[in-house]
Amino acid sequence: MNDDYLWDKTGQPDPEIQKLEEILGTLRYQPRPLALPQKRNYFPLLAIAASLLLALLAGGIWLRVRSRNTTPPQQAKIDSPTPAPKPDVTTVSPEKKSAVNPSPVVATNRRRHRSVQSAAEHEEALMAKEQLMLALRVTTQKLHLVHTRTSPANQIKNQHRVG
Amino acid sequence: MKPLFHINIRTALIAALLVFAPVLSAQGQQDSRLQMSSLDHLAAKASQTIDVNIDQRLMLLAAKVFDDKDEDERQIKKLITGLKGVYVKSFEFETEGQYAAADIETIRTQLRGPGWTRLVNVTSKKDGMLEVYLLFNGDAVGGMAVLHTDDKELTVVNIVGPVDVDKLAKLEGQLGIPDLGIQSPKNKTKNEQ
Repeated sequence: MNDDYLWDKTGQPDPEIQKLEEILGTLRYQPRPLALPQKRNYFPLLAIAASLLLALLAGGIWLRVRSRNTTPPQQAKIDSPTPAPKPDVTTVSPEKKSAVNPSPVVATNRRRHRSVQSAAEHEEALMAKEQLMLALRVTTQKLHLVHTRTSPANQIKNQHRVG
Repeated sequence: MKPLFHINIRTALIAALLVFAPVLSAQGQQDSRLQMSSLDHLAAKASQTIDVNIDQRLMLLAAKVFDDKDEDERQIKKLITGLKGVYVKSFEFETEGQYAAADIETIRTQLRGPGWTRLVNVTSKKDGMLEVYLLFNGDAVGGMAVLHTDDKELTVVNIVGPVDVDKLAKLEGQLGIPDLGIQSPKNKTKNEQ
């Protein structure tokens, strides 16, 4: 047997070696182009970010709608923007109201830009204060009536009237 | 079997308590707020109407614009601090009999509820009926209501929250109303309703 085949592939090859060559030949190096890493797929990340953004947006809208629904506009029928000194000037007739105050006193919580919002809030606060003063005037007026009717002087006066 | 049954009942009771306690607690806190919407229909008949609805949010908002440098406004701000709402409905009519007894009864029924105590009840043929109620949560005042009914007038005032009557009495001279000299209700006995 000649071993030249093992050195330079000349001569008669051994069938066993030929078989081994066939088997191992499948694992032989095969030249192919360099496979560079592919560009990263950002789609899942973008999808997650978009979902979060949408959720935040929806939450914000929901909160805004909710805050609007929970605080309905407060309305009061009043005659003058400043507290009147007299206790009996706290009421107004509906027809007079339209003449004095063409637009109804309605406090809303609309939110636009920050500056506009603060201005609107201030206006709303002033209206609320005005209404509060009106309510307190009515309350104290009624308490005054209670006092005058229950005061001893008034009772003595009534007794004299009866006598 | 029997002990197991007892445990189940107990568990169910505790669970029910846990579930309903917040609801009952919230209900208890809302007791001082009177439902006055049943009087709204009177506005059409009234010649003069006052309708003030200030909830806690507006109360806080209003407190911001009170001038702390002004002594009077500072007093008012102190008074409203802690209040949860002020509601007033007042109707004045040109003729008598514009409102029904049922209208007053809807308010008075609520004032017969637990916690409410009628402090003052003044009745006269000429000036109608004036009632002052306070809601007590234990020893603390949790609300106030004033009901004034006349032939031509119906007024309901409802202050929700801890009303300091002393402070309110001090306020009287600052809103164009002379001092009333109303005393604190601390020493007054609870009247029968």
